[in-house]
Amino acid sequence: MMLSNVASGFSRTIMLGSIAAIALAAPLVAHHSSAPFYDATKKVEAQGPVSKFLFKNPHSFLYFEAADDKGQKVEWQVELGPAASLTRTGWTPDTLKIGTVIKVVGQPSRAEGSHGMCCAKITKPDGSPITPGGRVTEEQQPPK
Amino acid sequence: MTNTIRSVACAAAIATALGGALAGQAPSTPEAQIPSLEGIWDGTPRARPVNSETVPWGKDNFPVLNERAKAYQKVFDEAIASKYDCQPATSPAIQYDPYSMEVVQWPDRVIFRYEKDDQVRTVWLDGRKATVYDWQLQGFSVGRYEGNALLVETDHFPFDITGFDDYNGIPSSSQKKVRERYWREGQELRVTVTVEDPMFLKQPASYTTRWLPQRPGYKLSAWDCDPETSRAPVKMMTPKYKDQ
Repeated sequence: MMLSNVASGFSRTIMLGSIAAIALAAPLVAHHSSAPFYDATKKVEAQGPVSKFLFKNPHSFLYFEAADDKGQKVEWQVELGPAASLTRTGWTPDTLKIGTVIKVVGQPSRAEGSHGMCCAKITKPDGSPITPGGRVTEEQQPPK
Repeated sequence: MTNTIRSVACAAAIATALGGALAGQAPSTPEAQIPSLEGIWDGTPRARPVNSETVPWGKDNFPVLNERAKAYQKVFDEAIASKYDCQPATSPAIQYDPYSMEVVQWPDRVIFRYEKDDQVRTVWLDGRKATVYDWQLQGFSVGRYEGNALLVETDHFPFDITGFDDYNGIPSSSQKKVRERYWREGQELRVTVTVEDPMFLKQPASYTTRWLPQRPGYKLSAWDCDPETSRAPVKMMTPKYKDQ
């Protein structure tokens, strides 16, 4: 269900309700559970230029600017896995350069007034992967 | 057994056996077989499922908590977890973190170096005993070889509000004792980790897991925990307590 769609062309935000929790809640970072911080029952999408990319342990963070549903520019904070894990998927500190326009779909943060996401899919605006393979998640887990 | 996680019932038996074996902390006997545990071992998702609220502590081996532990769980606030200030993980969690680990075997000690949190543990094989100066984050470890395994016993852990694991808000006390049994299973390195903590657990709890050999030439990378990004998720959480 689309709740808002900013007509600026700069970004758009959608909130999807009642989406079943997907299997990204904990394994993404393997440092903490995402549940206290992000709502796995919702999804949010935004698009805009990268403003900062911190390729760190225990979490990497991607920041980008987009307009909210009132047309105000906000900075989103996207939590990614640790640099040690992202490296395994081919990412480097230079994978996302400042100014690169990206599209991010992920779980929204819970804190009132915050603009955070986790467990996100990050692509170019046309939906193509940032890097060959396009993954930011851990490798497929073997069966127990 | 195909599963890497075993039941708590099995764990209790292992704990009893290890408890007897390690009592007295005798150094390794000359006739003890010394298994080759050396190398860099891969604990990433290639080897095992990633840790979470239910891994490695699932329905079959989740610890039986006493009333004190349940009370701590109830008031636990994720924001207070020291990992958000880069305090390293400890036993029994660090063994299951999804990264690589290096093992070095010397005559009088075994050294474990963890990629996660840049941690190094020394397991003393020379019969030494802990002193009052040996309280430290990773505790004080002694060990011995028995059969084809390395047995390790660690204590002298300080109280830790999340000292049991990273996900379930279970603390550990200064009475925590961790026993580990390492052995080779073909090309794999396996461990059974057993935790006792009478302040919080009604009975020992245990899990078994494995590492795979890392690829040739692999070197552990520095973790270099970054305080800024370590605590950054906390501001995304609805505060549990309002007056902060």
